Amino acid sequence: MIVTMKRVRLAGPTARVDEVLSFVQGLGVLHVVRPEVPESAPVEVRAPRHCRRMLADVDAALALLGSAAPVRSPALSPPGELPRAARLARRVRRQAAKLAKARAALEDERVTLLRYREFFTAFEALIGHELAWPDGKAFYVVMRAGAVSAVEELRRALTKAVGDELELLDRPLASGEIAVLILVSNAGAPKVARLLSDSRVQELPAPAGLGETNLLRAMPALKARLAAIPGAIAERDEERRRLADAHGPELHHLHGWLNDQLLLLEARARVHTGRYLFVLEGWLPEPRKASFVDAAAKTLGPEIVVEFVGDETWRASDAPVALINPAFFRPFEIVTRMLPLPRYGSIDPTPFLAIFFPAFFGLMMGDVGYGLVLAGLSVLLRFKSKPGTTLRSVSFIGTACSTFAIIFGVLFGELFGSLGHFVGMRPLWFNREEAIVPFLVLSVAIGVVHITLGLVLAVVTSWRRGHRREALGRGVAAMMVVLTVLSLLAAFQLLPSALFTPLVIAVLVAFPILIALEGIVAVIELLSTFGHILSYARIMALGTAAVMLAVVANQMVGAMGSVVVGVLFALLFHLVNFAIGVFSPTIHALRLHSVEFLGKFFSPGGTAYRPFTHWKQQPHES
Amino acid sequence: METNAMLAIGAALAVGLPALATAWAQGRIGPAAAATLAEKPELSTTAIILIAIPETMVILGFVVAVMILLRSGGAGG
Repeated sequence: MIVTMKRVRLAGPTARVDEVLSFVQGLGVLHVVRPEVPESAPVEVRAPRHCRRMLADVDAALALLGSAAPVRSPALSPPGELPRAARLARRVRRQAAKLAKARAALEDERVTLLRYREFFTAFEALIGHELAWPDGKAFYVVMRAGAVSAVEELRRALTKAVGDELELLDRPLASGEIAVLILVSNAGAPKVARLLSDSRVQELPAPAGLGETNLLRAMPALKARLAAIPGAIAERDEERRRLADAHGPELHHLHGWLNDQLLLLEARARVHTGRYLFVLEGWLPEPRKASFVDAAAKTLGPEIVVEFVGDETWRASDAPVALINPAFFRPFEIVTRMLPLPRYGSIDPTPFLAIFFPAFFGLMMGDVGYGLVLAGLSVLLRFKSKPGTTLRSVSFIGTACSTFAIIFGVLFGELFGSLGHFVGMRPLWFNREEAIVPFLVLSVAIGVVHITLGLVLAVVTSWRRGHRREALGRGVAAMMVVLTVLSLLAAFQLLPSALFTPLVIAVLVAFPILIALEGIVAVIELLSTFGHILSYARIMALGTAAVMLAVVANQMVGAMGSVVVGVLFALLFHLVNFAIGVFSPTIHALRLHSVEFLGKFFSPGGTAYRPFTHWKQQPHES
Repeated sequence: METNAMLAIGAALAVGLPALATAWAQGRIGPAAAATLAEKPELSTTAIILIAIPETMVILGFVVAVMILLRSGGAGG
């Protein structure tokens, strides 16, 4: 349900505004808003800007240092000297950035040198060969993978140009490319260089910084440099670790304090401050009203006036929305949170989701075996997750869904499909394999109940919002759905057939009333409502598909010749069916709620209740 | 026998044609949903529901096919 809110106003001497804000932040229950006043002092922008700049330095430094956040939130006490802390953040950020840049450069150099090493490893045995032309020149070329014909073409072209004064050697590289070494006399070198340039063959240049332009002679220096790089990288890492150890805790403390300070400044900007007086307004959940007033009287004294603004003076659309539900329903709030927040004064769909979502899921899965597997996984997830996290809620929803799946599995006599029949399980209600029409009727009947409930809730929502005509229209629509269903039951003689005529007359009387209340669009809405009811047939369709797939999986045992192969195939098929059996009912139960059910009464567009409180380290989900 | 064959073909068409239509619709919605999620990941639920919406066609087609088969005596009831 949506918590009732009260609008509270605090007023007092301007000199005490910071004290009052600290008190409000400490209590952490007031959603601070700007009071509706015609004039207000200009909002202070310098302090928040300064805080944000400092926070950017701190965050960047912490990210560059890779310093893990402390397990507990750091203390939010102010740092000793703010200018010194700001200078420290800036300095550590600069140092960490310099280290990161140097490390990245070393990594790049290593990658480049490895490429050279690969080339020269291919020709290492030929290094002495170069001496055949003491005044000669070597060219180093890497050709693309598979370019064997191009190498031969190059050899022919070069031999034609310089004759015997050339030697061309090629070796495949691990990458698939071809390393080509061209040794040529000094006289023939210009011709080769020109030919390579004309044919757009890229030469491999000597690596920079080795002090040697001849690559073959550069080889020892290259190897030495490659060997030295890991050490240099480790040095930078060590330096970064030392920096993180020395300044990490202080930076984390600063991070926490700055975030807290920003929250305070944000709230400060919402306070109307005059020369002598300040006015602070906000929203408070009604159950916290008494404790807030008591705490304010005790801590702030009579000088600070606390008063509640009359409910008639504010619009429901202005109030923030907080959801509060019993422990059993609370995990389902994660489903509600996937949807836009409901408006204040409308209906929180969480309790309805908590009842119908697992029931629909159970009806579609409806198998003791699959239900037990899902229950096992949910229990495992419960032990692996922390209280209050999304995963803990998912584990609870999984448990509720699996419970319904087991209950319906017992009623349908299903254990991994038809396997239950071999251990004496019999359907207590009906067999989904055969009773397709009863299952369809059940699904549509559930649709009638669910949609009618949605229309009744729409009546309540419209009435609360003061739209009486709309409320009456929705009521008549709900009544028409019920009357139509009853007349169909009478037509099929499931109800006394004497009721058929009066029921049809009632429908015919209600129809013009509906049009009079809601206009001609009501006809389209009524038709779409019947369409929505038929949409619940998906419960039967998915349920039947699930049981049929399970039966097929079991039939594989006898159909494969070998029992072992058959069992393995059956297990694999059951695994796939389980995955589909969890995914599809989840999506379709969600869809039935969000499109068919909530579409009738849900009013999105609420503002989330965000009380002004101290900054907290976000817990890591697990 | 001939009537049963016609009913079976009818049932196959009743589920096959909506299946093609659903596939076509989901093929159009899927890329749009993926593009939306790249910019607004918070719309993931809406995207999943939008992708599931055309499945109504094939589900109702399946129901009709079952009805046809029941008429022909090809399924239990």
